Amino acid sequence: MVEQKVLEPEKLFFETQRTELFITGSEVVKEAIKRANVDIAISYPITPQSESMHLVGDLYAEGYVKEYFRGENEFAVMSEVMGASMAGVRVFTATGGPGTLRAFENFPNWSGSRLPIVCAFMTRGVNAPLSIQPDTIEMAFMLDTGMIMFHAETGQDIFDMILKAYVIAEKTDVHLPIGIFMDGFFVTHTRDKVKVTPEEFKLPPYKPYCSPIPVMDMENVPVRHMRDPFVMKSNFISYAAHASWQQEILAAVERSRKYIYRYLGGMVEVENKNADILIITSGTAVSQSREAIELAKQEGIDVGLVKIKCLRPFPVDEIRELAANAKYIIVPEFNRVGWMCRELKSVIEDNSKVIGAPRVFGGMTMPPKLILDEIRRCAN
Amino acid sequence: MKGLFKISPGYEDVMPQEYLDLVNNGPYGKNYGVDDLGTFKELLEEHPLCAGCGLALSMRLVLASLPAPEDTIMVGSTGCSSLAFTQVAVHNIHSLFGNQNAVATGLKRALKIRFPDKVKDVVVMAGDGATVDIGLDMVMHSWFRREKITTIMLDNEAYANTGGQESGMSQQNAVLNMAPTGKKFPKIALPEVAKASGCAYVGVVSPAQPKRLGDMVRKAILIAREVGPTYLQLYSPCPTNYKFKSRETMQKIKERMESGMFEVMEYITPEAEAFLAEMKEGDKQ
Amino acid sequence: MTAKSSYKVLPGPEGYLPPAAATMSVMLPDPGEGLVEGEIVPQEQAINKIAEKLLSAKNPTFFPGPLVLWAWKDGVIEKAVAAKELADVVGAKIIPMPDYRPKYPMINPEIEINPNHPNLTIWHNKIDVCVFVGVHCHFANIALKIIRGGTSCYTIALCGEMGHEDAMITLRDVKADTIRKITEAVKEMKAGGVVSG
Ligand SMILES: Cc1ncc(C[n+]2csc(CCOP(=O)(O)OP(=O)(O)O)c2C)c(N)n1
Ligand code: SF4
Ligand SMILES: [Mg+2]
Repeated sequence: MVEQKVLEPEKLFFETQRTELFITGSEVVKEAIKRANVDIAISYPITPQSESMHLVGDLYAEGYVKEYFRGENEFAVMSEVMGASMAGVRVFTATGGPGTLRAFENFPNWSGSRLPIVCAFMTRGVNAPLSIQPDTIEMAFMLDTGMIMFHAETGQDIFDMILKAYVIAEKTDVHLPIGIFMDGFFVTHTRDKVKVTPEEFKLPPYKPYCSPIPVMDMENVPVRHMRDPFVMKSNFISYAAHASWQQEILAAVERSRKYIYRYLGGMVEVENKNADILIITSGTAVSQSREAIELAKQEGIDVGLVKIKCLRPFPVDEIRELAANAKYIIVPEFNRVGWMCRELKSVIEDNSKVIGAPRVFGGMTMPPKLILDEIRRCAN
Repeated sequence: MKGLFKISPGYEDVMPQEYLDLVNNGPYGKNYGVDDLGTFKELLEEHPLCAGCGLALSMRLVLASLPAPEDTIMVGSTGCSSLAFTQVAVHNIHSLFGNQNAVATGLKRALKIRFPDKVKDVVVMAGDGATVDIGLDMVMHSWFRREKITTIMLDNEAYANTGGQESGMSQQNAVLNMAPTGKKFPKIALPEVAKASGCAYVGVVSPAQPKRLGDMVRKAILIAREVGPTYLQLYSPCPTNYKFKSRETMQKIKERMESGMFEVMEYITPEAEAFLAEMKEGDKQ
Repeated sequence: MTAKSSYKVLPGPEGYLPPAAATMSVMLPDPGEGLVEGEIVPQEQAINKIAEKLLSAKNPTFFPGPLVLWAWKDGVIEKAVAAKELADVVGAKIIPMPDYRPKYPMINPEIEINPNHPNLTIWHNKIDVCVFVGVHCHFANIALKIIRGGTSCYTIALCGEMGHEDAMITLRDVKADTIRKITEAVKEMKAGGVVSG
């Protein structure tokens, strides 16, 4: 184990000399967690997540993570990290597909409890029938849990998003769980060049007493406190208290925007934004789109690209502005339901120009040619 | 005493009486027990549970018996007890229905990291439905993993909070909601399961024997602190759903005992026994 | 949808379910700044506005929360004393929020305030300007919204962390020193002829 020194996030992210590694997405998770000063990581196997949590286990064995164990199922694991987070430590876990759905009741509970849990989701198909293959359908279910959601396209995104997620999640005014979604296999199991910060530096530790809600340790006040107290009555007082609580979760999500700008450089990345045809999507669908745009260029068709990095909060103003002048908006997705298309249609004023295609699922790759077909249709 | 139990100067005269009582006459750092009830300000404030509720009585006795309330963090679950837990003056967690032992696992391990040299007792107290039905996998796994937590079941033999449905702890043949023709299988032998799953101490008792209950709570928590997981099952009849008068709760327990259907039970591993003996020795010196 | 940009954080009653100010594009101040009715201003300006509001109030009331009421860590007592001094100089009442639990059968609104129904205490005592200090951010925001929804009380939040958009005036990073600055401002204003309502 390398002796590590704590470094302020701004310095760690933006001022240190980075080295380039050629590693898989799972290995990137390890590199990020190594520098994240995590207290407890809890695992449960599911493809395509397992490898990354094996590697986090290695970090525990080496001494970078203070506590680590395999829980009994995903619902329990998500409850275990919740208990740890309520006791005032920094936690990490990861799951995907059926694991996400098995654990589901915990996610709105994490948000409602204002817990800065960071969880990676290595997405895959959900039953039935069983599939271990890449598919982003679980993200459709996660959109309204109150969690902040980042979607990684590359290994570099995984590294930066995980580390930065801790800093954003733990801001007192945010203090919410963040899910970092990555497309199973396509990024988790492929090698990519990733620039990492020096391993001798790690994030400062979590500060439990900056939490917007008391910590459960009998060392802070008030001592008469339940996490989280509810008014269990059928009257307006009870409804108003619950409603105001929910609004505060929404408000906390909103407050994360400025930090997403500060640390991730914005909610979207844009190339050639004035083109008539725009592709807007997230995750590895962005990489496939890039290739399609190259092919289109060779045919003399000009296409712009918008990569959405953050799904919650959703970049509403950014998308509205970008979409205003486009004639066609193509939305390629790795799932059957087209949740990204739905999201975009709900914010773009003239949404008849949004084309929800191509869509692939069940583990299929997305040949750039499919996207090119859509581009050609728009160009003609 | 820790500062969390002190009122900042200048604010004593605006603090409502209950808080002054808690500060001036509370149980923190006092080593009180069931015998002292009535002489100190209890941890449990006024709550909305029914009159004559056996579970409320059990809760009160458990809270009066905590060996170190100033360093105890409790975990509850959805159910009647969660309505009273909001009124308890130790940090406590209500998370979801049934995940209490998983939450307690994370909590205990985190507290161990943050306060390696301090006593931090983690005590789970939840209903029978939460413990033996919906949360059973997590209860048992916390035992298998030898988590150093105490698990207390408030056994009212039903899902009381949702209107009196059958639970795994209901008696065979009991006619309850969702068991319209009577329950088809016997009360689950969770104490036996606890023994086989690695608990260092297992006990069954009721609030009809308050002193014994208090003693057993203390043992269960002290053993969990040092030796391993412990389990305590508190028979706590529910007048509302079993439709008897609120003053008959104790009577119901006694009838059970007389008919031989309810027995106080204690199981302790040799290791836990040795630990208790050692503690006693230490106390004498 | 309500127009976002025009949203002002003003005394209510705003109605059935007022929005969280943060979802109406109201941003929290950066260090050295304060927030007045949804607008970011230099801290000093916000302090003066607080002094003005306190002095012109008929029944100003401080709601100290657990973080100052209980002497749980270093620095708390100093802050608690500073808040008490400010309340005394203003001639404000102090009504505590010792914890956040829903109370059974009900609270006594005369002597305490609860984040689940802060409006009861405000109505009962006819409070026209209130000051939150030492309340955990989550519970402060919950209470501040309910107050805006149901009462005409002017809310001021002295926050030790990042401030509260749901208050009409908020300061962030508030320490004993910051509170003493408000006390100074109040004293100066008084000397300059502004009298307590
Ligand atoms: C996931 C989930 N399923 C069901 C419920 C409904 N529910 C709430 S309390 C309860 C019964 C609790 O029974 P028990 O644990 O025995 O506690 P008691 O009320 O009897 O004290 C049920 C079924 C819930 N809250 N969450
Ligand atoms: S329903 Fe039964 S268990 Fe629940 S509070 Fe009433 S008497 Fe107690
Ligand atoms: Mg029950």
